Amino acid sequence: MRHIRAALARIAGAFRGRQEDDDLREEMEAHLEMETAEHIRRGMAPEEARRQALLSSGGIAVATDAVRDQRGLPWMDAIAADLKYAARALRHSPAFTAVVVITLALGIGANTAIFSVVRAVLLKPLPHREGDRLLYLRQSMDGPGGANINFSVPEVREFRAATPSLGGIAEYSPWFGTLRGKDEAIRIDVGLVTGNFFEVMGLSPILGRLTRPSDDGSGVPAVMVLTHDFWMKHYGGDSAIIGKQVQLDGNSLTVIGVVEPAPWFPDRMEALANMVISPHHLSALMVEGRSHRMTEMIARLAPGATVEQARSEIDAVYARMQRDHQDTYNPNAHYRVAVIPFKDALGERARLTLLLLMAAAAFVMIISAANVANLTLMRGVRREHELVVRAALGAGVGRLRRLLLAENLLLTLLGAALGMVIAVGGVRLLVSLAERYSPRAGEIRLDGVVLGFTLTLAVVLAGVLSFIAALPKEGSFAAWIAAGVRRIAGDARKHRLQRGLVVAQVAVSVVLLMGAGLLTRTMVQLSQVSTGLRTEEVLTVDVPLLQVGGGPSEGTDPRAWFQTLLRQDAQAKVRYDQMRREISGLPGVIEVGVGSSVPLRGSSTRFEVKAEGRSLPVGEPEVRPDFRTASPEYFSASGIPIVKGRGFSTTDVAGGGKVVIVNQTLADKLFPGEDPIGKRLAWTGEVLKFTPISPEWRTIVGVTGNTQDGGQDAPPRSVMFMPFAQELAMGGVLVIRADSNVAGLASGVTRIVRRLAPAAPIQGVLTVRQIKNESVARQRLNATLVSSFGILAVVIAAVGIAGVLAFSVSARTNEIGIRMSLGADRGRVQRMILKEGGVLLVIGLALGVTGAYFAGGVIRGLLFGVAPHDPVTFAGVAAMMAAIGLAACWVPALRASRIDPAITMRA
Amino acid sequence: MTDKLDVKQGTLALMILRTLDVLGPLHGYGVARRIEETSRNRLKLNYGTLYPALLKLEQEGFIKAEWRQSENNRRAKFYSLTTAGRKELARETREWHETADLIAAFLAPRREMP
Repeated sequence: MRHIRAALARIAGAFRGRQEDDDLREEMEAHLEMETAEHIRRGMAPEEARRQALLSSGGIAVATDAVRDQRGLPWMDAIAADLKYAARALRHSPAFTAVVVITLALGIGANTAIFSVVRAVLLKPLPHREGDRLLYLRQSMDGPGGANINFSVPEVREFRAATPSLGGIAEYSPWFGTLRGKDEAIRIDVGLVTGNFFEVMGLSPILGRLTRPSDDGSGVPAVMVLTHDFWMKHYGGDSAIIGKQVQLDGNSLTVIGVVEPAPWFPDRMEALANMVISPHHLSALMVEGRSHRMTEMIARLAPGATVEQARSEIDAVYARMQRDHQDTYNPNAHYRVAVIPFKDALGERARLTLLLLMAAAAFVMIISAANVANLTLMRGVRREHELVVRAALGAGVGRLRRLLLAENLLLTLLGAALGMVIAVGGVRLLVSLAERYSPRAGEIRLDGVVLGFTLTLAVVLAGVLSFIAALPKEGSFAAWIAAGVRRIAGDARKHRLQRGLVVAQVAVSVVLLMGAGLLTRTMVQLSQVSTGLRTEEVLTVDVPLLQVGGGPSEGTDPRAWFQTLLRQDAQAKVRYDQMRREISGLPGVIEVGVGSSVPLRGSSTRFEVKAEGRSLPVGEPEVRPDFRTASPEYFSASGIPIVKGRGFSTTDVAGGGKVVIVNQTLADKLFPGEDPIGKRLAWTGEVLKFTPISPEWRTIVGVTGNTQDGGQDAPPRSVMFMPFAQELAMGGVLVIRADSNVAGLASGVTRIVRRLAPAAPIQGVLTVRQIKNESVARQRLNATLVSSFGILAVVIAAVGIAGVLAFSVSARTNEIGIRMSLGADRGRVQRMILKEGGVLLVIGLALGVTGAYFAGGVIRGLLFGVAPHDPVTFAGVAAMMAAIGLAACWVPALRASRIDPAITMRA
Repeated sequence: MTDKLDVKQGTLALMILRTLDVLGPLHGYGVARRIEETSRNRLKLNYGTLYPALLKLEQEGFIKAEWRQSENNRRAKFYSLTTAGRKELARETREWHETADLIAAFLAPRREMP
């Protein structure tokens, strides 16, 4: 208590002063007078009495200082004085201050922004209760689409039965559906979850309740939990939504609660529902079909269990499964299950890119710190005289060091403050990048921890900068001063440090530029890959009219549901046809087609296919092409080339012979070296039983060229098209080709669609060019960010080289003057300075190219169409750096050659 | 001139508190004079020792200060004990006695073994 009270009094005392000093003076004066009066009373002469009183006081000034120290916080006063002095010194060299602060701000800003992203996406603990004990299980196999094939109910059941180290396993199927409101319909992503999902995930409701085991199974009411984001965005955070009924794909669900904000896997989710709305999930096929895999698995470690235990248990169960069901787990497809901490699974896609950006930002920081160090060193040399004077006046080395520290601290803190401003802007850009990689992008913010990171960076930098400056040893001042010296530091040592820093700057810039070059070439290569389409000037509008997500209600004949579905399908097709006709009437429109999927986007529906009269070679994985439908106009309207046979015609209708068109990839896979036209194919597999799609034979009438459906860098997928009129439509995408400016048609098209289908959600009105650009947006962002870091680095490094050489020239003015008066001409002097810079440049380049060689291997995974050690990029970058470096040397070299020997010699 | 002792660390606070306890509100000069007299002039308090000590006690809340007229009609700062100060004085006095007893026991002349 007494210490707290005393501390408070002292803190308060630190901010008072003048009044207290006056009081103290008066108090001590009173003391003196009383003592003087006492002496006089005892018979001393007044003068002598006063003198004696003063003598016994022990010195008023000393006492005043002692009281001041007791009153406030003496160290704080000292720091304040140092900072005040530092601020004054910096004000006197505004150019130096500005350059240093801006350089630091760029480095600190970049690092702060990237750190805030890395922290949110990779480092921060999950918001889930004990989120570090959550595990994500992933089953994969070789072949296309095999990276994540999910789990089937029998698999989950067996895992659950034999893994005591897992405290709970939640099942979860990403799904989507059309949510119908009063005015409009929107497509939302819904997770179908088991009742234990939220318990296992460790998430709590912020409103209402979450699903529980009693929501599992059939015959229970359909319920829906809203995610926090969707609740805020769509319902404006209105708590009245709880208990309300909503329509999702023709099912009626009760909204039971809102779950706390959390990242969703594998992507953003709008809502979570129990499985009763999806008859698939309750059907015998789903429950019994071992290869009917639709479920993601998330598990929570039991108390005391470790990830290793869980992994070995899972491995044991999985090995047994593969032994017992050899027909399901084709050994050639290398089925495997990975056990991944959930946090790592969420950060998986982002890790490499973020580490790349973090490294790039760190490099920029190194370069800017090196520059600031050089500037500080040079300024230090110019200030040596001042430091000697200060030392002569009694400042010890410690005191001088503290002064330097105060100055550097002021500089780095100013830099950090400005850097935070830059970071605020940078974070906005980075969030849009992170959203493509991580469901945790919403957690990115510049909070206390990030601020702490920035401050730490600033303080550490200030410390480093203060201690590289050379100060003489304690006690050696006198000799220096006696000798009348103006320079005290060993010049050679300092110059070596400066030169080393320049070399480092060049080297690091080269590495950054190389990364930027490789990523830029990746982007260029990607956009140069042919999409396979004849044109990109095609407008697409996705209008899903059919609710494929629904299903037969419990206990009824699935065939009755198929009838309903096909009836709806027929109605939808009538409306698509109306849309097609009306849009054809818009001015400038050449052709309008309709099909199940957007060009270049592909379809997520895939089934197994078999060719008549041939069986797959043993060990070959099944062929699972994309299931797509297309109207006769679809191919020419979207620019998909028919390379063999014919397109669909208006006679390929429901009653006619079943025909299909395959793409080149599928043709090559099923009929290598043969003419596929006239051959027959059929959909097959157990999943088919659950759809109204018939397994009858279909004749191939045409072959299309391959298109880049999975993205510009993906290998082409197999595709099988059926006539839009002949098969379940599975979706409706209008593709519109016009003679000019297709994007300008968007509003007219939207108006027609709105009128004909007021309740349908319109997904996206995009041109194929936009879709293509979107597919390389990730790589473009990478290239742009690293390139801007690279350019930043080069500019800072160029300033650094020029600065160090200019300093060297100014230090050598005398020498150069002598050389010139002895006959050296201007060219010779220029060459001398250029050579001085050139040596540094060459060493830096050599180190940088070596570093880039290793860095290239690290970012291999982010490259496309360019080797990590691409010689063209390497040569180009080295030449560019050399050119910029030489240009930076030229400025001081020119200045050196203009030195007038007559003037310098006299100086 | 005889050697004057420096005030031992920590004992000055106790002396000041005791002085104010005995004499009531007193200015800095009075405190110094009283302590020097009590020590029979073996202690010498200069301002640099006295005033920081007074300020420290004030900050700790053991004494409080107010400006009053002094005996020779001059404005002076008078210090007086607070309740907390009285308690602190009692506590420190007790501790001091205990320490003194202890040290005295240690320093007592050795008794010859019979």
